[in-house]
Amino acid sequence: MSEQRKDILGMLAEGKITPAEAEQLIAALERDLSPSLAGAQLRPGSKPKYLRLVVENTNEHGEPGRVNARVPLQLLRAGVRLAALIPPQALAQANAELSRTGVPFDLVQLKPDQLEALIEHLEELTLEVDQPDAKVLVFCE
Amino acid sequence: MMPQLLTVRIERPHGRTIRIWLPVLPVALLLSPLLVLAALATAVACRIYRVRMMSAFCAGGRLVCALPGTRLNLHEGRTGVHVGIR
Repeated sequence: MSEQRKDILGMLAEGKITPAEAEQLIAALERDLSPSLAGAQLRPGSKPKYLRLVVENTNEHGEPGRVNARVPLQLLRAGVRLAALIPPQALAQANAELSRTGVPFDLVQLKPDQLEALIEHLEELTLEVDQPDAKVLVFCE
Repeated sequence: MMPQLLTVRIERPHGRTIRIWLPVLPVALLLSPLLVLAALATAVACRIYRVRMMSAFCAGGRLVCALPGTRLNLHEGRTGVHVGIR
């Protein structure tokens, strides 16, 4: 829950505003919030440069928490190139650990160009998870 | 482009904020003896694990050069940490 939303609910609890006014204020707050997120997303025709991760949640004490990370897509590509240098014996060990933990995934089959294609298609990704106490948004900008 | 500046901002609950601006190049020059040792250790590790040394250094350099623009903001109640690389 954001600070402004909490203030509005506090004013409602104190009887300073009516429920209808509180509803109007919350609606206005959501209108203000939506364009800022939408505006941060990719405009048509422009090439995305960053992967953005936004997490908003409320902890057990009712305090709002927010994580906002921006990672250049170039960094992901560089990471993929670095991962391509992992020696085969290390990949075999990683495969064994993955299958031991119940993830039967063969890292040897994953080629650098496939990972490149994955990052290319990541540019079209928009993931939005909305729950009452948490909101997660992943997109490229 | 190589990172130029690392900025860290720590917001504390009592209103005190710590701001750190770290110019990367002077710090790298200051730590250059350690960087040389790290490069030597990397070269030895490449030889042991039979990884092409130049590819490893190029990939590492590319990774460092891709860092500018990275930003991380964490907020929990009244505390917060902001890290940015320019």
